[in-house]
Amino acid sequence: MGISVSVLVFTCISIIGVSGVFLITGLTGMFSLGQASFMAVGAYTSGLLVVRFGFSFPLAAVVGVGAGVLAGLVVGIPTVRLRRDYVALVTFGFGEAIIAILNNLTQITGGAMGLVGIPPITTLPFAALSALLSLFIVWNFKFSRFGRQCIAVRTDELAARSMGINADGMKLLVFLLAAGFSAYAGVLYGFYTTYVDPGLFNWTRSAEWIIMVFFGGLGSVSGAVLSAILLGTLPEVLRFASEWRILLYCVIVLAIINYRPKGLLGEREFFLPSGKKVRVEGGKP
Amino acid sequence: MNIQQLLNGLSLGSVYSIIAVGFALVFNILKFSNFSHGGVLTVTAYAGYLIATQGKVGLIPTLVLTSLVGGMIAVLIERVAFRRLRKSKSPVIFYFVSSITMGILLENLITITFSSNFYSYPKFFEKTILRLGDFQVAVTDFWMFVISLLALSCLMVILYRTKLGVAIRALSMDPSTTLLMGAPVNQIVVATFFTVGVLGGIAGVFLGINYTLYPQLGQMIVKGFIASVIGGLGNLSGAVMGAILLGLLEVFLTGVEGIGSGLAPVVIFLITLVFLILRPQGIAGKIIQEKV
Repeated sequence: MGISVSVLVFTCISIIGVSGVFLITGLTGMFSLGQASFMAVGAYTSGLLVVRFGFSFPLAAVVGVGAGVLAGLVVGIPTVRLRRDYVALVTFGFGEAIIAILNNLTQITGGAMGLVGIPPITTLPFAALSALLSLFIVWNFKFSRFGRQCIAVRTDELAARSMGINADGMKLLVFLLAAGFSAYAGVLYGFYTTYVDPGLFNWTRSAEWIIMVFFGGLGSVSGAVLSAILLGTLPEVLRFASEWRILLYCVIVLAIINYRPKGLLGEREFFLPSGKKVRVEGGKP
Repeated sequence: MNIQQLLNGLSLGSVYSIIAVGFALVFNILKFSNFSHGGVLTVTAYAGYLIATQGKVGLIPTLVLTSLVGGMIAVLIERVAFRRLRKSKSPVIFYFVSSITMGILLENLITITFSSNFYSYPKFFEKTILRLGDFQVAVTDFWMFVISLLALSCLMVILYRTKLGVAIRALSMDPSTTLLMGAPVNQIVVATFFTVGVLGGIAGVFLGINYTLYPQLGQMIVKGFIASVIGGLGNLSGAVMGAILLGLLEVFLTGVEGIGSGLAPVVIFLITLVFLILRPQGIAGKIIQEKV
């Protein structure tokens, strides 16, 4: 086949990250250019706890995700009530800040050399199970009361507010959930590669996740998963140089936005259980 | 903060201000954060390097040629990434994704053509230090300040004294009424992008001189964002004030024991957060609300 185990593990990890971005961008219409830094928070916190303080993996993972959510709280509270542009700006700035901290606290984080010696714990079944679990959560979220409220906020925030939806609350909730997802993806990543450095978590990774959500179709979980798998494994199979891969993404996204703004699947889902239809007729995403 | 730091901060802030203004202009007319401006910065920084080394010309011809290149790139970006979106009246988030994609695309084009090697601009001046009484100013810093000031004044003249300027300001207030008044909206948007590209070209050369050339140089656009947040999103004079403030702050923080240039982004991020909590509309502006 030519697909190695590591490609599959990385695909599972990016599915987890993409499900977070799906909640933020696909359902609620915000842009986070700092998802990768929540991933960094998760990876570094859990890695440091195990390497330096001898924590057990499950505890470290929980604390890592908690730290990610906490960071999400710090970034989210001031920004969700403002125009959506600010979310992108502030998360971008947050990413810069996190990278600066990781690079400069050399004694603790290893600086630009990275944190080494994290034990390899993540296996393919474990990663796959985690990806499925996160998909399960996102799927149920989308078809719950919360998901519908999020879609309302994305489609027309003012109208949603006037219907009595707590838009700021929904946005913050989604933001925190996504931060948790990203942090968990980071935990898995760190404990798979056994090594993390600040350069792994720059904003292009965050942008890549947004691109995947767009590629699949803005409101579709299936689409997000499909594009995470396609865009994650195809280049590995075809052995593109990694720099050309990003270029290819960009061209694809420009083409999609210009000629097929709904993405691959639009709002549609595979395996939609009957009676659980969310229709956004004529709604602008 | 001493006078020396003040001078350095002013010159840094003036470069940030042309980035911030270029960013704010597009925000004004199309109401989205234009990330592709970072791509313009990267490409023009390299274009300026090629012009200066291959053409062996001085600073001013380099700036003029590069700003023309920048203008053309920005027009091209408008054509590829935004024209169809405007025609189909797409929602704002599509513009946003389009501009991010354009930014990444340009950055990667540069990475592929020049690989990740570092380049640096040739020295433009024999004398590198200018003495002002007891203080020293790098000659390039001095020119940065003067030229940025000149560029901003030109922009103000264009915006407030010409027909094009009136059209741009009208477009920023209400696109459909402007169209009804018979203004050629497409041409105005293209002209605005050209202007923004020219500003980006000047900023790109200065960034290239100030730092070494590397493909991620365009991420300096974040300085323009932060300046806009401090000054008020979409407000030109606010953007200039925010940028000068940011430049001063950065120079000052770099001098502080225990922060240095490494941790300065962290402090600036925290200050931005505080600003957003206390005064989300920025120094100058009214906050732009979504209209029904």
